[in-house]
Amino acid sequence: MTYTVALAQVNPACGDLEYNVKMHVAQVEQACEAGADLIVFPELSLTGYMLKDQTFDVMRPADCPEFARLRELSRHIAICAGFVEEGTDGIPYNSSFFMDAGEICHIHRKMYLPTHGMFEELKFLGRGKELSVFDTRFGRTGIVICRDLFHPLEVSTMAALGVELLLAPSAMPARGFSGEELAIEQTVALALGSASTFLGMFVVYVNRVGFDDGLGFYGGSALSDPVGGITVSAPRFEAVQLLGTVDTAHIARQRYQLPIRREEDLEIVRHALEIRRNS
Amino acid sequence: MTTDALALNNTLVEDYLKRFVQEELHTSGFTEACIALSGGLDSSLVFKLAVDALGVDHVHAIFLPYKASSDESRRDAHTMFEFCGIPWQELDISGMADAYLALQPGIDRLRTGNLLARLRMAVIFDQSKKENALVIGTSNKSELLVGYSTWYGDMACALMPLGDLYKTQVRSLAHHLGLPQQIIAKPPSADLWAGQTDEEEIGVSYETLDQILFLLVDQRCSSAEISSQGFDLDLVHRVEHKILTSQFKRVLPPIAKLSQRTVGVDFLYPRDWRK
Repeated sequence: MTYTVALAQVNPACGDLEYNVKMHVAQVEQACEAGADLIVFPELSLTGYMLKDQTFDVMRPADCPEFARLRELSRHIAICAGFVEEGTDGIPYNSSFFMDAGEICHIHRKMYLPTHGMFEELKFLGRGKELSVFDTRFGRTGIVICRDLFHPLEVSTMAALGVELLLAPSAMPARGFSGEELAIEQTVALALGSASTFLGMFVVYVNRVGFDDGLGFYGGSALSDPVGGITVSAPRFEAVQLLGTVDTAHIARQRYQLPIRREEDLEIVRHALEIRRNS
Repeated sequence: MTTDALALNNTLVEDYLKRFVQEELHTSGFTEACIALSGGLDSSLVFKLAVDALGVDHVHAIFLPYKASSDESRRDAHTMFEFCGIPWQELDISGMADAYLALQPGIDRLRTGNLLARLRMAVIFDQSKKENALVIGTSNKSELLVGYSTWYGDMACALMPLGDLYKTQVRSLAHHLGLPQQIIAKPPSADLWAGQTDEEEIGVSYETLDQILFLLVDQRCSSAEISSQGFDLDLVHRVEHKILTSQFKRVLPPIAKLSQRTVGVDFLYPRDWRK
Protein backbone atom coordinates (compact mmCIF):
# COMPACT_ATOMS: atom_id res chain seq x y z
CA MET A 1 0.00 0.00 0.00
CA THR A 2 1.18 3.49 -0.72
CA TYR A 3 -0.37 6.67 0.58
CA THR A 4 0.44 10.36 0.73
CA VAL A 5 1.04 12.27 3.92
CA ALA A 6 1.05 16.06 4.21
CA LEU A 7 3.45 17.63 6.70
CA ALA A 8 1.90 20.93 7.82
CA GLN A 9 4.83 22.96 9.15
CA VAL A 10 2.77 25.88 10.42
CA ASN A 11 3.13 28.87 12.72
CA PRO A 12 0.21 28.87 15.19
CA ALA A 13 -0.82 32.07 16.96
CA CYS A 14 -0.35 31.68 20.72
CA GLY A 15 -3.71 31.46 22.46
CA ASP A 16 -5.80 32.32 19.38
CA LEU A 17 -8.05 29.30 18.75
CA GLU A 18 -10.17 31.02 16.14
CA TYR A 19 -7.21 32.00 13.99
CA ASN A 20 -5.61 28.60 14.37
CA VAL A 21 -8.75 26.67 13.43
CA LYS A 22 -9.07 28.76 10.25
CA MET A 23 -5.42 28.15 9.46
CA HIS A 24 -5.92 24.40 9.98
CA VAL A 25 -8.96 24.36 7.70
CA ALA A 26 -6.99 26.11 4.96
CA GLN A 27 -4.10 23.66 5.39
CA VAL A 28 -6.43 20.65 5.31
CA GLU A 29 -8.13 21.93 2.15
CA GLN A 30 -4.75 22.46 0.52
CA ALA A 31 -3.68 18.92 1.43
CA CYS A 32 -6.97 17.51 0.09
CA GLU A 33 -6.50 19.29 -3.21
CA ALA A 34 -2.98 17.89 -3.42
CA GLY A 35 -4.38 14.39 -2.96
CA ALA A 36 -3.00 13.68 0.51
CA ASP A 37 -4.55 10.87 2.57
CA LEU A 38 -3.32 12.13 5.93
CA ILE A 39 -2.22 15.52 7.26
CA VAL A 40 -0.12 15.93 10.39
CA PHE A 41 0.17 19.20 12.34
CA PRO A 42 2.72 20.11 15.05
CA GLU A 43 2.32 19.87 18.80
CA LEU A 44 -0.34 22.26 20.19
CA SER A 45 -0.98 23.44 16.65
CA LEU A 46 -4.48 24.65 17.49
CA THR A 47 -3.41 26.69 20.51
CA GLY A 48 0.25 27.72 20.30
CA TYR A 49 2.93 26.51 22.69
CA MET A 50 3.92 29.11 25.29
CA LEU A 51 0.45 29.36 26.75
CA LYS A 52 1.17 29.58 30.48
CA ASP A 53 -2.13 30.55 32.15
CA GLN A 54 -3.86 30.74 28.77
CA THR A 55 -3.87 26.95 29.02
CA PHE A 56 -7.02 27.30 31.10
CA ASP A 57 -8.69 29.51 28.46
CA VAL A 58 -7.99 27.35 25.43
CA MET A 59 -8.53 23.85 26.80
CA ARG A 60 -11.31 22.00 24.99
CA PRO A 61 -12.59 18.47 24.65
CA ALA A 62 -11.74 17.06 21.21
CA ASP A 63 -15.43 17.00 20.27
CA CYS A 64 -15.90 20.74 20.97
CA PRO A 65 -17.86 22.84 18.44
CA GLU A 66 -14.71 24.76 17.44
CA PHE A 67 -13.20 21.60 15.96
CA ALA A 68 -16.42 20.43 14.24
CA ARG A 69 -15.31 21.75 10.86
CA LEU A 70 -12.07 19.78 11.07
CA ARG A 71 -14.02 16.68 11.99
CA GLU A 72 -16.21 17.27 8.96
CA LEU A 73 -13.15 17.64 6.75
CA SER A 74 -11.76 14.38 8.10
CA ARG A 75 -14.33 12.62 5.91
CA HIS A 76 -11.92 13.41 3.08
CA ILE A 77 -8.54 13.15 4.79
CA ALA A 78 -7.24 11.85 8.10
CA ILE A 79 -6.10 14.65 10.41
CA CYS A 80 -3.67 14.64 13.31
CA ALA A 81 -3.57 18.00 15.12
CA GLY A 82 -2.44 19.26 18.51
CA PHE A 83 -4.56 20.96 21.17
CA VAL A 84 -4.97 21.43 24.90
CA GLU A 85 -7.41 18.69 25.78
CA GLU A 86 -9.84 19.34 28.59
CA GLY A 87 -10.04 15.89 30.13
CA THR A 88 -13.28 14.63 31.66
CA ASP A 89 -11.26 14.75 34.89
CA GLY A 90 -11.02 18.54 34.42
CA ILE A 91 -7.29 18.36 33.79
CA PRO A 92 -5.67 20.00 30.74
CA TYR A 93 -3.47 17.69 28.67
CA ASN A 94 -1.00 18.35 25.88
CA SER A 95 -2.76 16.15 23.32
CA SER A 96 -3.04 15.35 19.64
CA PHE A 97 -6.20 13.93 18.12
CA PHE A 98 -6.44 11.62 15.16
CA MET A 99 -9.62 12.15 13.14
CA ASP A 100 -10.69 10.06 10.19
CA ALA A 101 -13.97 9.41 8.37
CA GLY A 102 -15.63 12.15 10.41
CA GLU A 103 -14.76 10.51 13.73
CA ILE A 104 -12.29 11.16 16.52
CA CYS A 105 -10.44 7.85 16.35
CA HIS A 106 -7.81 8.44 18.98
CA ILE A 107 -6.33 11.02 21.35
CA HIS A 108 -2.76 10.83 22.57
CA ARG A 109 -1.81 12.65 25.75
CA LYS A 110 1.85 13.61 25.88
CA MET A 111 3.56 11.41 28.43
CA TYR A 112 6.87 13.10 29.03
CA LEU A 113 6.30 16.80 29.63
CA PRO A 114 9.61 18.65 29.81
CA THR A 115 9.82 20.85 32.88
CA HIS A 116 13.33 22.18 33.11
CA GLY A 117 15.23 25.17 31.77
CA MET A 118 13.02 26.90 29.21
CA PHE A 119 10.27 24.28 29.54
CA GLU A 120 7.51 24.42 32.14
CA GLU A 121 4.86 22.05 30.84
CA LEU A 122 4.09 20.20 34.08
CA LYS A 123 3.35 23.52 35.73
CA PHE A 124 0.25 23.85 33.59
CA LEU A 125 -0.54 20.45 32.08
CA GLY A 126 -1.32 16.91 33.22
CA ARG A 127 0.77 13.92 32.32
CA GLY A 128 -0.51 11.31 29.85
CA LYS A 129 -0.30 7.76 31.16
CA GLU A 130 -0.90 5.59 28.13
CA LEU A 131 1.06 4.65 25.07
CA SER A 132 -0.80 5.49 21.89
CA VAL A 133 -1.08 2.43 19.72
CA PHE A 134 -4.16 2.23 17.53
CA ASP A 135 -5.21 0.81 14.21
CA THR A 136 -6.01 3.05 11.27
CA ARG A 137 -6.42 2.49 7.55
CA PHE A 138 -2.67 3.21 7.34
CA GLY A 139 -1.78 0.28 9.55
CA ARG A 140 -0.93 0.22 13.25
CA THR A 141 -0.29 3.82 14.20
CA GLY A 142 1.32 5.52 17.17
CA ILE A 143 1.63 9.12 18.28
CA VAL A 144 4.50 10.60 20.24
CA ILE A 145 4.44 14.30 21.04
CA CYS A 146 7.78 16.12 20.94
CA ARG A 147 9.77 14.98 24.01
CA ASP A 148 8.06 11.57 23.85
CA LEU A 149 10.13 10.94 20.72
CA PHE A 150 13.33 11.21 22.76
CA HIS A 151 12.32 8.38 25.09
CA PRO A 152 13.67 5.23 23.42
CA LEU A 153 11.75 2.99 25.80
CA GLU A 154 8.44 4.51 24.72
CA VAL A 155 9.25 4.32 21.01
CA SER A 156 10.72 0.79 21.25
CA THR A 157 7.71 -0.46 23.16
CA MET A 158 5.41 1.00 20.55
CA ALA A 159 7.37 -0.80 17.85
CA ALA A 160 7.14 -4.01 19.84
CA LEU A 161 3.39 -3.49 19.99
CA GLY A 162 3.31 -3.38 16.21
CA VAL A 163 3.42 0.32 15.33
CA GLU A 164 4.36 0.88 11.70
CA LEU A 165 3.49 4.54 11.34
CA LEU A 166 4.73 6.85 14.06
CA LEU A 167 3.36 10.40 14.08
CA ALA A 168 5.62 12.82 15.92
CA PRO A 169 4.04 16.28 16.21
CA SER A 170 6.50 18.66 17.85
CA ALA A 171 7.28 22.17 19.05
CA MET A 172 11.07 21.98 19.29
CA PRO A 173 12.76 25.33 19.92
CA ALA A 174 15.94 26.13 18.01
CA ARG A 175 19.17 26.09 20.03
CA GLY A 176 22.78 25.34 19.40
CA PHE A 177 23.80 27.60 16.51
CA SER A 178 27.47 26.73 16.23
CA GLY A 179 27.45 24.03 13.55
CA GLU A 180 26.33 23.55 9.97
CA GLU A 181 22.97 22.56 11.40
CA LEU A 182 21.35 23.31 14.74
CA ALA A 183 22.31 21.08 17.67
CA ILE A 184 18.64 20.18 18.16
CA GLU A 185 18.39 19.04 14.53
CA GLN A 186 21.16 16.53 15.12
CA THR A 187 19.36 15.24 18.21
CA VAL A 188 16.12 14.82 16.28
CA ALA A 189 17.94 13.12 13.40
CA LEU A 190 19.25 10.54 15.87
CA ALA A 191 15.74 9.81 17.14
CA LEU A 192 14.25 9.58 13.63
CA GLY A 193 17.08 7.41 12.33
CA SER A 194 16.84 5.12 15.32
CA ALA A 195 13.06 4.63 14.98
CA SER A 196 13.18 4.02 11.23
CA THR A 197 16.42 2.07 10.94
CA PHE A 198 16.27 -0.11 14.04
CA LEU A 199 12.53 -0.41 14.50
CA GLY A 200 11.41 -0.30 10.86
CA MET A 201 8.80 2.41 11.32
CA PHE A 202 7.82 5.33 9.14
CA VAL A 203 8.09 8.47 11.23
CA VAL A 204 6.23 11.65 10.34
CA TYR A 205 7.98 14.39 12.31
CA VAL A 206 6.19 17.72 12.04
CA ASN A 207 7.73 20.63 13.90
CA ARG A 208 6.31 24.14 13.98
CA VAL A 209 7.94 27.44 13.06
CA GLY A 210 7.66 30.99 14.41
CA PHE A 211 8.36 32.54 17.79
CA ASP A 212 6.52 32.32 21.10
CA ASP A 213 8.08 34.82 23.53
CA GLY A 214 11.55 34.60 22.04
CA LEU A 215 11.53 30.82 21.66
CA GLY A 216 12.03 30.23 17.96
CA PHE A 217 10.75 26.92 16.59
CA TYR A 218 12.93 25.71 13.75
CA GLY A 219 10.66 23.60 11.54
CA GLY A 220 12.77 21.00 9.76
CA SER A 221 9.83 18.58 9.55
CA ALA A 222 10.71 15.25 8.00
CA LEU A 223 9.42 11.95 6.77
CA SER A 224 11.73 9.16 7.85
CA ASP A 225 11.50 6.00 5.75
CA PRO A 226 12.86 2.65 7.02
CA VAL A 227 14.45 2.00 3.65
CA GLY A 228 15.01 5.41 2.11
CA GLY A 229 16.06 7.44 5.15
CA ILE A 230 14.80 11.01 5.25
CA THR A 231 12.68 11.29 2.10
CA VAL A 232 11.02 14.61 2.90
CA SER A 233 12.85 17.41 4.63
CA ALA A 234 11.22 20.76 5.25
CA PRO A 235 13.29 23.95 5.41
CA ARG A 236 14.25 25.68 8.63
CA PHE A 237 12.08 28.51 9.93
CA GLU A 238 9.68 28.64 6.92
CA ALA A 239 5.98 27.85 7.16
CA VAL A 240 5.39 25.27 4.47
CA GLN A 241 3.30 22.22 3.62
CA LEU A 242 5.14 19.30 2.05
CA LEU A 243 3.93 15.95 0.76
CA GLY A 244 5.59 12.59 1.22
CA THR A 245 4.86 9.08 0.09
CA VAL A 246 4.70 6.11 2.39
CA ASP A 247 5.22 2.70 0.81
CA THR A 248 4.32 0.22 3.52
CA ALA A 249 6.31 -2.51 1.73
CA HIS A 250 9.42 -0.80 3.11
CA ILE A 251 8.47 -1.80 6.65
CA ALA A 252 8.69 -5.54 6.07
CA ARG A 253 11.73 -5.12 3.86
CA GLN A 254 13.68 -3.26 6.55
CA ARG A 255 12.47 -5.55 9.34
CA TYR A 256 13.70 -8.56 7.34
CA GLN A 257 17.00 -6.91 6.53
CA LEU A 258 17.66 -5.80 10.11
CA PRO A 259 15.27 -7.87 12.24
CA ILE A 260 15.45 -5.94 15.49
CA ARG A 261 11.68 -6.01 15.74
CA ARG A 262 11.65 -9.79 15.30
CA GLU A 263 14.35 -10.23 17.93
CA GLU A 264 12.67 -7.92 20.43
CA ASP A 265 11.45 -9.60 23.58
CA LEU A 266 9.61 -7.41 26.05
CA GLU A 267 9.58 -10.36 28.44
CA ILE A 268 13.24 -9.63 29.15
CA VAL A 269 12.35 -6.14 30.27
CA ARG A 270 9.36 -7.33 32.28
CA HIS A 271 11.48 -9.99 33.97
CA ALA A 272 14.24 -7.50 34.80
CA LEU A 273 11.74 -5.09 36.31
CA GLU A 274 10.14 -7.85 38.36
CA ILE A 275 13.45 -9.02 39.76
CA ARG A 276 14.32 -5.47 40.70
CA ARG A 277 10.93 -4.94 42.31
CA ASN A 278 11.28 -8.11 44.36
CA SER A 279 14.88 -7.50 45.45
CA MET B 1 39.54 26.48 25.69
CA THR B 2 39.82 29.11 22.95
CA THR B 3 37.38 31.62 21.52
CA ASP B 4 36.66 29.02 18.79
CA ALA B 5 34.20 27.45 21.23
CA LEU B 6 32.11 30.60 20.91
CA ALA B 7 32.04 30.54 17.09
CA LEU B 8 28.54 30.48 15.61
CA ASN B 9 27.09 29.73 12.21
CA ASN B 10 26.46 33.39 11.41
CA THR B 11 24.34 32.65 8.36
CA LEU B 12 21.90 30.75 10.56
CA VAL B 13 22.05 33.36 13.33
CA GLU B 14 21.41 36.21 10.90
CA ASP B 15 18.38 34.47 9.41
CA TYR B 16 17.01 33.61 12.86
CA LEU B 17 17.47 37.09 14.35
CA LYS B 18 15.87 38.85 11.41
CA ARG B 19 12.85 36.59 11.71
CA PHE B 20 12.81 37.22 15.47
CA VAL B 21 12.72 41.00 15.02
CA GLN B 22 10.08 40.82 12.33
CA GLU B 23 7.79 38.35 14.05
CA GLU B 24 8.01 39.65 17.60
CA LEU B 25 7.27 43.16 16.34
CA HIS B 26 4.36 42.07 14.20
CA THR B 27 2.91 39.80 16.89
CA SER B 28 2.80 42.86 19.15
CA GLY B 29 0.85 44.69 16.44
CA PHE B 30 3.68 46.95 15.24
CA THR B 31 5.46 47.52 11.95
CA GLU B 32 7.92 50.22 13.09
CA ALA B 33 11.07 50.02 15.18
CA CYS B 34 13.03 52.71 17.05
CA ILE B 35 16.73 52.39 17.84
CA ALA B 36 19.04 54.70 19.77
CA LEU B 37 22.21 54.60 17.68
CA SER B 38 25.41 55.40 19.53
CA GLY B 39 27.93 54.67 16.80
CA GLY B 40 29.06 51.62 18.77
CA LEU B 41 29.08 48.05 17.61
CA ASP B 42 25.94 46.73 19.34
CA SER B 43 23.54 49.43 18.22
CA SER B 44 25.07 49.45 14.74
CA LEU B 45 24.47 45.72 14.40
CA VAL B 46 20.91 45.99 15.71
CA PHE B 47 20.31 48.85 13.28
CA LYS B 48 21.50 46.75 10.34
CA LEU B 49 19.51 43.67 11.42
CA ALA B 50 16.36 45.76 11.87
CA VAL B 51 16.72 47.43 8.48
CA ASP B 52 17.25 44.07 6.80
CA ALA B 53 14.31 42.56 8.67
CA LEU B 54 11.80 45.40 8.39
CA GLY B 55 12.95 47.58 5.50
CA VAL B 56 14.47 51.08 5.60
CA ASP B 57 11.10 52.79 5.82
CA HIS B 58 10.23 51.05 9.07
CA VAL B 59 13.33 51.73 11.15
CA HIS B 60 13.66 55.00 13.05
CA ALA B 61 17.19 55.40 14.33
CA ILE B 62 18.37 58.45 16.22
CA PHE B 63 21.80 59.55 17.38
CA LEU B 64 21.46 60.99 20.91
CA PRO B 65 24.74 62.71 21.77
CA TYR B 66 25.73 64.53 24.93
CA LYS B 67 28.25 67.33 24.62
CA ALA B 68 31.00 65.04 25.92
CA SER B 69 30.29 62.38 23.30
CA SER B 70 33.31 61.75 21.12
CA ASP B 71 33.70 62.88 17.52
CA GLU B 72 34.41 59.27 16.70
CA SER B 73 30.93 58.24 17.88
CA ARG B 74 29.36 60.89 15.68
CA ARG B 75 31.46 59.86 12.70
CA ASP B 76 30.60 56.17 13.16
CA ALA B 77 26.91 56.89 13.64
CA HIS B 78 27.03 58.88 10.39
CA THR B 79 28.68 55.98 8.66
CA MET B 80 25.94 53.62 9.84
CA PHE B 81 23.12 55.89 8.66
CA GLU B 82 24.78 56.00 5.26
CA PHE B 83 25.48 52.26 5.32
CA CYS B 84 21.82 51.50 6.01
CA GLY B 85 20.50 54.18 3.64
CA ILE B 86 18.58 56.15 6.26
CA PRO B 87 18.65 59.96 6.58
CA TRP B 88 20.62 61.34 9.54
CA GLN B 89 18.61 61.96 12.69
CA GLU B 90 20.07 63.55 15.78
CA LEU B 91 18.71 64.86 19.05
CA ASP B 92 21.21 66.43 21.43
CA ILE B 93 20.46 65.59 25.07
CA SER B 94 22.97 68.09 26.52
CA GLY B 95 20.31 70.69 27.35
CA MET B 96 18.08 68.38 29.36
CA ALA B 97 21.05 66.65 30.99
CA ASP B 98 22.78 69.87 32.00
CA ALA B 99 19.57 71.30 33.46
CA TYR B 100 19.62 68.51 36.01
CA LEU B 101 23.38 68.20 36.40
CA ALA B 102 23.55 71.89 37.36
CA LEU B 103 21.40 71.00 40.37
CA GLN B 104 23.77 68.21 41.43
CA PRO B 105 27.17 69.68 42.16
CA GLY B 106 29.79 67.02 42.72
CA ILE B 107 27.89 64.31 40.89
CA ASP B 108 30.27 61.49 40.02
CA ARG B 109 30.91 59.84 36.69
CA LEU B 110 28.81 56.75 37.40
CA ARG B 111 25.73 58.76 38.34
CA THR B 112 26.24 60.99 35.32
CA GLY B 113 26.58 57.98 33.06
CA ASN B 114 23.41 56.42 34.43
CA LEU B 115 21.56 59.72 34.08
CA LEU B 116 22.57 60.04 30.42
CA ALA B 117 21.52 56.44 29.71
CA ARG B 118 18.13 57.08 31.32
CA LEU B 119 17.62 60.35 29.48
CA ARG B 120 18.33 58.55 26.22
CA MET B 121 15.80 55.94 27.30
CA ALA B 122 13.18 58.63 27.95
CA VAL B 123 13.83 60.19 24.56
CA ILE B 124 13.81 56.96 22.56
CA PHE B 125 10.60 55.79 24.25
CA ASP B 126 8.95 59.12 23.51
CA GLN B 127 10.10 58.91 19.90
CA SER B 128 8.73 55.37 19.69
CA LYS B 129 5.33 56.69 20.73
CA LYS B 130 5.56 59.36 18.07
CA GLU B 131 6.44 56.80 15.41
CA ASN B 132 4.06 54.13 16.75
CA ALA B 133 7.11 51.93 17.05
CA LEU B 134 8.70 49.50 19.48
CA VAL B 135 12.13 50.20 20.94
CA ILE B 136 14.68 47.61 19.98
CA GLY B 137 17.37 47.19 22.61
CA THR B 138 21.04 46.68 21.97
CA SER B 139 22.27 44.83 25.08
CA ASN B 140 24.42 41.75 24.55
CA LYS B 141 24.82 38.67 26.74
CA SER B 142 28.20 39.69 28.15
CA GLU B 143 26.95 42.98 29.54
CA LEU B 144 23.63 41.51 30.69
CA LEU B 145 25.50 38.89 32.71
CA VAL B 146 28.04 41.18 34.34
CA GLY B 147 25.56 44.03 34.70
CA TYR B 148 27.57 46.49 32.63
CA SER B 149 24.50 48.45 31.62
CA THR B 150 22.05 50.88 33.16
CA TRP B 151 18.89 49.48 34.69
CA TYR B 152 15.92 51.21 33.03
CA GLY B 153 18.46 53.02 30.87
CA ASP B 154 20.03 51.25 27.91
CA MET B 155 18.49 47.98 29.17
CA ALA B 156 14.97 49.35 28.67
CA CYS B 157 13.43 48.09 25.43
CA ALA B 158 10.74 45.90 23.92
CA LEU B 159 13.02 43.38 22.19
CA MET B 160 16.64 42.32 22.68
CA PRO B 161 17.89 40.61 19.54
CA LEU B 162 21.50 40.41 20.78
CA GLY B 163 20.69 39.39 24.36
CA ASP B 164 21.91 35.82 23.88
CA LEU B 165 25.11 36.71 22.01
CA TYR B 166 28.40 37.37 23.75
CA LYS B 167 30.29 40.46 22.66
CA THR B 168 32.79 38.43 20.66
CA GLN B 169 29.87 36.76 18.88
CA VAL B 170 28.34 40.17 18.21
CA ARG B 171 31.62 41.23 16.64
CA SER B 172 31.75 38.13 14.47
CA LEU B 173 28.13 38.60 13.33
CA ALA B 174 28.84 42.26 12.53
CA HIS B 175 31.76 41.14 10.40
CA HIS B 176 29.53 38.60 8.65
CA LEU B 177 26.99 41.32 7.87
CA GLY B 178 29.70 43.52 6.40
CA LEU B 179 29.50 46.38 8.90
CA PRO B 180 32.18 49.04 8.39
CA GLN B 181 35.52 47.87 9.77
CA GLN B 182 36.07 51.07 11.77
CA ILE B 183 33.00 50.16 13.89
CA ILE B 184 33.94 46.52 14.35
CA ALA B 185 37.57 47.24 15.21
CA LYS B 186 37.27 50.11 17.68
CA PRO B 187 37.49 49.42 21.42
CA PRO B 188 33.95 49.12 22.86
CA SER B 189 33.02 52.17 24.91
CA ALA B 190 29.96 53.57 26.66
CA ASP B 191 31.41 56.96 25.63
CA LEU B 192 30.51 58.69 28.87
CA TRP B 193 33.87 60.44 29.15
CA ALA B 194 36.94 60.87 26.99
CA GLY B 195 38.97 57.71 26.59
CA GLN B 196 36.54 55.45 28.47
CA THR B 197 36.55 51.82 27.36
CA ASP B 198 34.37 48.90 28.53
CA GLU B 199 37.31 46.57 28.93
CA GLU B 200 39.22 48.96 31.18
CA GLU B 201 36.13 49.46 33.33
CA ILE B 202 35.17 45.80 33.56
CA GLY B 203 38.84 44.99 34.13
CA VAL B 204 39.23 42.26 31.53
CA SER B 205 39.14 41.93 27.75
CA TYR B 206 35.88 40.75 26.19
CA GLU B 207 37.74 37.84 24.68
CA THR B 208 38.69 36.53 28.11
CA LEU B 209 35.44 37.61 29.79
CA ASP B 210 33.33 35.80 27.20
CA GLN B 211 35.26 32.57 27.57
CA ILE B 212 34.86 32.69 31.35
CA LEU B 213 31.14 33.50 31.04
CA PHE B 214 30.68 30.72 28.51
CA LEU B 215 32.27 28.21 30.87
CA LEU B 216 30.41 29.51 33.94
CA VAL B 217 27.00 29.98 32.40
CA ASP B 218 26.65 27.83 29.30
CA GLN B 219 28.86 24.95 30.44
CA ARG B 220 27.96 25.20 34.16
CA CYS B 221 31.63 24.77 35.12
CA SER B 222 32.87 25.52 38.63
CA SER B 223 35.43 28.28 39.17
CA ALA B 224 38.03 25.60 39.99
CA GLU B 225 37.37 23.85 36.68
CA ILE B 226 37.68 27.13 34.81
CA SER B 227 40.88 27.99 36.60
CA SER B 228 42.30 24.59 35.63
CA GLN B 229 41.83 25.65 32.01
CA GLY B 230 44.32 28.46 32.50
CA PHE B 231 42.14 31.35 33.64
CA ASP B 232 43.14 33.39 36.68
CA LEU B 233 41.07 32.20 39.66
CA ASP B 234 40.74 35.71 41.12
CA LEU B 235 39.42 36.94 37.81
CA VAL B 236 36.89 34.10 37.63
CA HIS B 237 35.73 34.98 41.15
CA ARG B 238 35.39 38.64 40.17
CA VAL B 239 33.27 37.68 37.17
CA GLU B 240 31.08 35.47 39.37
CA HIS B 241 30.71 38.34 41.80
CA LYS B 242 29.60 40.68 39.01
CA ILE B 243 26.96 38.18 37.90
CA LEU B 244 25.64 37.84 41.46
CA THR B 245 25.55 41.53 42.27
CA SER B 246 23.76 42.46 39.04
CA GLN B 247 21.04 39.82 39.31
CA PHE B 248 18.47 42.47 40.31
CA LYS B 249 18.81 44.03 36.86
CA ARG B 250 17.77 40.85 35.11
CA VAL B 251 14.49 40.25 36.92
CA LEU B 252 11.31 42.16 37.64
CA PRO B 253 11.17 43.69 41.13
CA PRO B 254 9.69 41.33 43.72
CA ILE B 255 6.04 41.91 44.56
CA ALA B 256 4.78 41.19 48.07
CA LYS B 257 2.35 38.37 47.49
CA LEU B 258 -1.03 38.80 49.18
CA SER B 259 -3.73 37.48 46.87
CA GLN B 260 -4.41 34.14 45.19
CA ARG B 261 -3.06 35.46 41.91
CA THR B 262 -0.13 37.81 41.87
CA VAL B 263 1.43 39.42 38.83
CA GLY B 264 4.55 37.51 37.85
CA VAL B 265 4.00 34.81 40.48
CA ASP B 266 0.80 33.02 39.52
CA PHE B 267 -0.67 35.43 37.01
CA LEU B 268 1.45 34.06 34.21
CA TYR B 269 0.84 34.95 30.61
CA PRO B 270 3.20 35.08 27.68
CA ARG B 271 4.39 38.41 26.40
CA ASP B 272 2.75 37.47 23.08
CA TRP B 273 -0.62 37.22 24.81
CA ARG B 274 -3.48 37.37 22.35
CA LYS B 275 -7.05 37.20 23.55
